[in-house]
Amino acid sequence: MKTTCSLMAILAGTTFMATGALAQELNALVWCDHTDDALIKPFEEKFGVTVNLKEYEGTGAALSLIEQSQPGDWDVLVIDGIDVPRAVSAGILAPLPTESLPYDTLFPELVMAENHVIDGQTYAISEKFGYNTISFNSSAVAADALADMTALWGAAPGSLAVYDYYLPVMGLVAMGLGLNTADLGMDDLPAIEAALMKLKDNASSVGEVVASQTAIATGEVDILVGGGEWVTAGLVSEIPELDWIIPDQGAVRWSQSIGVFADSSQPDLAVEFVKHVLSPEGQAALATSSCYWAMPANAAAGDVMTAEQKRALRWDDQAAYLAKAQLYPAPDADLDAAMQDVWTRFLAR
Amino acid sequence: MIRAASIETRDRRRALALAAPALAWTAAFFALPFAVMATASLWRRTDTGFDRRPSLENYADFWSQSAYVEAAVNSVEITLAVTCLSVLLAYPLAWIIAVELPERYRRIALALAVIPFWTSYVVRSYAWSLVLAKKGVLNGWLAAWGLGALDLANSRAATVIGFTHFFTMLLVLTIYASLVQLPRNLRLAAADLGASRFQTFRFVVLPLTLPGVAVGAFLTFALCIGDYVTPQILGGGNDLALPQLVMLQISRRADLPMAAALSVILMVLVTLAYLAMARWMRPR
Amino acid sequence: MIRFALCSAYMALIYAFIFLPVAVLALFSFQDGRFPIPPFRGFSLRWHAEVLADADLIAALVNSLLVAVASSALALALGFLAARAVATGALRGAGMVRAAITAPLSVSYLVIGLGLLASLNLMGIGLSLGTVAIGHVVINTPLCFAICSAALGPATANAERAARDLGAGEIRVMALVTAPMIMPALLAAFLLSVTFSWDEFIIAFLLSRFDVTLPVEIWSLLRSGLNPKTNAVGSLVFMLSALAVLAVELAAARRK
Repeated sequence: MKTTCSLMAILAGTTFMATGALAQELNALVWCDHTDDALIKPFEEKFGVTVNLKEYEGTGAALSLIEQSQPGDWDVLVIDGIDVPRAVSAGILAPLPTESLPYDTLFPELVMAENHVIDGQTYAISEKFGYNTISFNSSAVAADALADMTALWGAAPGSLAVYDYYLPVMGLVAMGLGLNTADLGMDDLPAIEAALMKLKDNASSVGEVVASQTAIATGEVDILVGGGEWVTAGLVSEIPELDWIIPDQGAVRWSQSIGVFADSSQPDLAVEFVKHVLSPEGQAALATSSCYWAMPANAAAGDVMTAEQKRALRWDDQAAYLAKAQLYPAPDADLDAAMQDVWTRFLAR
Repeated sequence: MIRAASIETRDRRRALALAAPALAWTAAFFALPFAVMATASLWRRTDTGFDRRPSLENYADFWSQSAYVEAAVNSVEITLAVTCLSVLLAYPLAWIIAVELPERYRRIALALAVIPFWTSYVVRSYAWSLVLAKKGVLNGWLAAWGLGALDLANSRAATVIGFTHFFTMLLVLTIYASLVQLPRNLRLAAADLGASRFQTFRFVVLPLTLPGVAVGAFLTFALCIGDYVTPQILGGGNDLALPQLVMLQISRRADLPMAAALSVILMVLVTLAYLAMARWMRPR
Repeated sequence: MIRFALCSAYMALIYAFIFLPVAVLALFSFQDGRFPIPPFRGFSLRWHAEVLADADLIAALVNSLLVAVASSALALALGFLAARAVATGALRGAGMVRAAITAPLSVSYLVIGLGLLASLNLMGIGLSLGTVAIGHVVINTPLCFAICSAALGPATANAERAARDLGAGEIRVMALVTAPMIMPALLAAFLLSVTFSWDEFIIAFLLSRFDVTLPVEIWSLLRSGLNPKTNAVGSLVFMLSALAVLAVELAAARRK
């Protein structure tokens, strides 16, 4: 009886909250790491607004969602850094007021003016970054064995899993083949596909974030291709053997950028949200989100993060890592379609 | 005479008024969307939007990409395997519940057989991934009994097991329904006429329950071939099915026209299955 | 005797198969620690507590209930009225009507969802829980129609005629004669619709925006980090539903 009462109270409470939400609302299209209360609540309380979040994975999904929406539906967009020009040319993003954003404490590599500044206007700012490289279980595999990425082509069957997102993994494989991610062209695809197929023959699964995390955390596989700190950092407190490495050939760097929709009905509030996410506190919460951990773009976040958190993210090694990493490939429409075709064949194999 | 005719007209109007809401709803939210899909399947995705001049290019693309055709073949193979397995597993259970079990236990036995229905569909698939994982429960037991490990996770076998689990529950219900409708006297009469138990089953019970089985099997086929969740969670990215391909178009390429074309192909496969069932069911 | 043994063995095997994933799920929902793999490390209620404290999950649960009840009620109304129309025998082209209304049964939910997504977009209707409910009415109306049709027969027709002869209007006939006569079928149709809507994923996934239903919330839980809450929410939903089913069974048994 008591539990029934408390359940009813919960039900009544949530219904009330749902109907009582007449306050101003901010609608954001984000990756799953933006949904923690630690990040959102302080903003909602400060401005007395409700933040509605829709999660997506991959720029294609975001564009799909935007196409299916009415103008004015969205206020804030989080998007892969390399896809900002694409979003700008589609007229999705509005210029940002740069003077109120923390450019002076941003990691210099994350300013990425070539992606964010178009015709003298800044359309987005980096908020988080990390690497798509190789995660492994150090109790089963020695780091030295993975220093040369091409060793993966001949890994033990069933010992590895692959992260299911074509851009970073194909970029990583391209680097393993000695190619630069920025210069990828149609001619490079056959070699990349051949290497991918060798990977697939040894892979036990190709999965999204959770499937990948589960596979390596439960010892189902020893190596995760496409993984990195975003897979392991949140888990090391429980499984210290989980580790990641940037091989000699380098790795792919991913970065997320945040911007404001051109047709937002409340651009000022949206800019405030961007400023909140870029603030040291917002950055610390974002870096250690429950969905995945990764480096904050604003180095000032280091002041509010614990030493343990920074160690898990390898804060002090970032200079060396950044030097070794290249950005995600940023294919044009034709190359993108061809790459997705390769990836579909990879999945179907 | 005139009055009779007007009553008939009135009844007809009244009946039409009763059916109108359901018909209107089906037209607006089922037939129209279907037409939109069929039309969209003739468009093309471009850099900035859709090219709305009708063409069959999406279908040609489908046909020319071996991975796409393979996904359709995978889907059909998985679905046929699941349909056959589920019928074979469900029929005996439905038979035991409907015929062998004392009447007072029937309801509870039936309820037990379908309770896992209410676990939530997404979670059920995920639960199977826990059972079948390389270091999962099943292999834990096998090891405890000194047996070798099974490598079922992330494969077609896992997808088929997950599906079979769901559809066995569904088919137990439908087959049970057609078994209890059989008058008990029919079986007694067959026995009186000297038929063995097997003969009674083969020549009396089975033919009479076949329509129910066929409808259940068709429903299984239609639901199974269109499902995205189970192959996505259990297939481990090793065995692409048609619905996964559809969702790849939506979530990675923002390519609604290609997704629509693949959906049309999916519907063609379901229609073929329906025709096959109808043909098989036709009295010969 | 052999026959009894065979039957028992078969039942045991199939029930084991049917309950295996549920049992494993329930077991690991009590796992102490984040990893849903053997060995079982100890008993903990932590994940269940976290589920109950998760406002998003509870809100999704309420949303699911709302959508399920609203869409089932509408589907039942549409299906019942149409079934009556067909049952009167006065409808011209009754076969066509029947075929049209039951057509969605054989179409994949994915296709229905995608089609609705594209057409709602063309009509300029924004996505919400309402659009999810629209989709669920589409899949549930044929079901309600079929169940009501099966229940309407000569007996109900005669009673209706008698009521009409006694001067009852059409609405009163329906409310006071037909509906009570086929109440078990109406209830069954409603409950089945609620079950289908409650469990439906792909339409809800495609047609919802910020407010999502439970299966969609569970899906995003599954995609956003290794999280044992998934096990806990699955087993909680299961226990709730099993209790509801059990209660219905017991009530039915007592009435007899």
